Order: sequence, then C-alpha cells, then structure tokens
Amino acid sequence: MTDPSTAEIRTFIVDNFLFGDENHPLTDDTSLIENDLIDSTGILELVAFLEQRFAIAVNDSDIVPANLDSIARISSFVGGRLGQSNSAAN
Amino acid sequence: MLDAPSSEFPNTSSICVGSNATRVAKSRSTNTEMSEVRPFITSDVPVVAEMFQRILRKTSQSATSSLEIYLRELFLEAPDAQHDITSLIHQRDDGSVSGFVGVVPLALEFEGRPLRGALCGTMMVDGHKEDPFAGARLLRAFLAGPQDISLTETANDVSTAMWRKMNAAVLPDYSLEWIRVIRPAGFMVELAAADVSAARVFSPLARPIDAFIRRRPIDGEPHWSHFTSAPKGKLVDTDVDEDELLDLIPKLAAHYPMRPAWRRETLARIIVHARRKANYGPGVRRVVRTGTGHPVGLYIYYGDRGRIGRAFQVMALPGQEGAVIDNMIAHAASNGLVALRGRTQPALLNAMLGRRFAFVHASSSIVHARDPALIQPFLDGRAFFNGFAGESWCRLMGDAFD
Repeated sequence: MTDPSTAEIRTFIVDNFLFGDENHPLTDDTSLIENDLIDSTGILELVAFLEQRFAIAVNDSDIVPANLDSIARISSFVGGRLGQSNSAAN
Repeated sequence: MLDAPSSEFPNTSSICVGSNATRVAKSRSTNTEMSEVRPFITSDVPVVAEMFQRILRKTSQSATSSLEIYLRELFLEAPDAQHDITSLIHQRDDGSVSGFVGVVPLALEFEGRPLRGALCGTMMVDGHKEDPFAGARLLRAFLAGPQDISLTETANDVSTAMWRKMNAAVLPDYSLEWIRVIRPAGFMVELAAADVSAARVFSPLARPIDAFIRRRPIDGEPHWSHFTSAPKGKLVDTDVDEDELLDLIPKLAAHYPMRPAWRRETLARIIVHARRKANYGPGVRRVVRTGTGHPVGLYIYYGDRGRIGRAFQVMALPGQEGAVIDNMIAHAASNGLVALRGRTQPALLNAMLGRRFAFVHASSSIVHARDPALIQPFLDGRAFFNGFAGESWCRLMGDAFD
C-alpha cells in the first residue's frame, strides 16, 4: 500500500510540474532533474510545499538530489523528518 | 522594439547555464550530495571573476586583474561590510565553485526606524539547468539572512520566478525601462547597430532626416522628435561635482518614507563607483536649480554623441519631476544623443506621461521582507529604490575592466 505522503507528493508533482498530466510516465524512482521535470523555481516550490504540508523544516543542506530528486527520495526524506519529530515529541 | 538591457550589459541577477554544464551533469549524482552554501572569501575571487566573464558577460576572454580587484573591493572590502550579510558561494563537494550571489548591505530607514537591508545581484550558477539545486539554495540562503529587507534590481525572468516562489513582491513601477526618442532616424540606426554594428554607416544619412523632422511645425500633437525645452529664466541647469552630490542626494531623497540611510562615507564611495561606465559613454551630472539657486533636482546620464544614452539617476523634489525631466532631455538633445533610456521610479511616471516616453519591461525590481508592512511602501511607490539605492551604481554594470 502506498504511503499517504508518497501519494500526496506524487499529486503535487503531477499537478505542478506535469500540468496535471496523469499519463506521463512517472515512477517513484524517476529522476526529476534528468527528465527535466524540475528547475530551480520548482525546487523552491517543492520545498515550500513540504514545509507547509508536512510541517517539517528543510535546511539548506537538505536541498540536494539525494533527498529531492524523485518521489521515493522525497518520501523517504519526509518520513525521516516526521520520524525525528515524533521521537523528539516522545 | 527595444532590446532588453541584458543584450548590452549583464543582467546581473541572471541565472545562466555556463560552459561547465556537461561536466556538472555527468558528476551531478556524486558531486552535489555534500555541496554547501558558504560565505564568499578572498580565495574565491579568481573563479568568480571567470564565471562572471563566461556566464554574465558571455565572453571567452579571461578575467582581468582589474575585474578581480573590483570584485574584491565591492564584495569583500566595503567600508560598511557586515559579518553576517555577505556574498555567498555554492560549492560542490569536490571543492569546486559552481554558484555565486553578490550581496551588498544597504542601511535603510522607514519613517525614522532604522532597518537592515541587503541588495542581491550578480547571481550566477554554472550548469544551472543540470544542477538546479545550486540556484535554489543560494537564493534561499540569501533570503534567510538577518536583513529586514532583501532587494534586487536586475532579476531576469528565471530569477524573478524564483523570488516569487519565496513570497517576494515584484515591483512593476520600479521595473520598467523608459526610453525617450530624440532623433528618430538616428535612433533607428542605433537599434539596428545593436545587432549589426555596421549599420552605423547609415548615421550620416540619419542626421539630415532628423533635422528635417525637427524643423516641421508642431500641429498641436506632440511628436516623438519634439521635446519641451528647459524653461528659460526659471530653472538653471549646471554641472555638479561629487562633493555637492554628496549633500544633494540625501536631501532629494528625504521625502520618501522608505529610503537609504547612507553614512556619508558610504554614499561617497557609491558616487565614486558610479563615476565611470565606459560601455555607456561619458557621464553627465547636472543639478537643476531655481533662479535663486535652490536645488529642485538632479540627473545623471551617460552617452556618446549619436548614441542612445543611459540615465542612471533622476531625482526631484515633489512636483518638480517634469521640470527636471525636461532639462535632462534638453541637455541630452544638445549633446547629440539620439535617445535616452533609464529605469522608472514611481515618482517619475506621472511626469513622463504626456512627454512621449515609451516603456518596456526588461528586468525586475523585487523586494522581500518577513514583515509585510515593510513591503507596502515599495508597492505604494513611497520607497526610494533603483539607481544610487540599488545595484546599478556599481561598475559591474556598464564599465569595462580591460
């Protein structure tokens, strides 16, 4: 079953970077940069979305391909941050 | 149609793809994971100078030592430099520099309240398309600084889109390029010469055509080639030296609720930087006074006879904008310029209407602040911004470093 955050991230990317085209071949591991799906403006838009939707802080050093270049990486990054938040709360 | 300024001088807030794009693309997956944004330091100067030549000046010529010296002076050795408002570097994890944003502190005051401002320009990224993270990180890092207000005067379309995503406000009234044609035939030749310099062989033909056009009687409708002469006997228009400018500029900006709070030595330095713009032509600095010697405004422009001049700054007391503009255009005409162009300020726009000015958008003036109340005076046209209160005084815009 797809993680809820993964589904939301996919929806955000399709809506904002693919103009809502659901037929575009976009797997969880598709590189957003190598496929020209995201540029500098898109990265800022994506980071703002993650910060607002998931209430996480994205630091400067977090803005790297390892965290943000595919749906899977973004989802993993968000999951890690949410996990940290939950641990801190407990 | 007018050229965007970027065709003639670097749009210093552009993000462009540099010649290292391929290398960046191949190494992206392994070369950016540990990349960082850090303050600009002296040892970065040579590589930033080379990036400036390659990306913004679009030339294969190596950076000169005079350019390196200037970058160091402008961004590292300014007398009002602040340790926490600095220019920034994007560095790949192999230590190579792939991005730069030049930052200059600008002390401001709003209705008497002191504010920290920072001007962002000279934004460039090597291989921007292949490594979009660099530009995004540089802009975020700059806007996250301690300044109350962040400003840029020369954002191109890419930079403007990025600033918008950071909730910045684009300022239409400060973002237009105005142009006033003085000699239509000569102006057309100069427009053609911007693409093919050989077009200037037609300049001798343009002069008699313009002379004929200007001799035609005015039939009630103002023509592009006509202008209102400076009112004789009412206002006096004379050269102004740098010491006098130092006194005049703060006085003529005093009626703006949001304005720079220059220290005297800071403004003196800015005036010296603005002295020379070799690519635009010789500079003209004039003060406009009443018959009793009371200053009502000033203008500064650069331009060669037969060319399109560039106005760098027009300042006027409230209500005197039209008179100052008339004096400036009359002076440019007497100097043989075919047209004059410059950047709008809201206070000048009303006066330009009815004086046959044309407007085009070339690059954007943008403001960002965490407190929306600090953006409002810019949106209302109550801020003194652009020119001396911007980036265009620096020699990176319009000067040569041979």
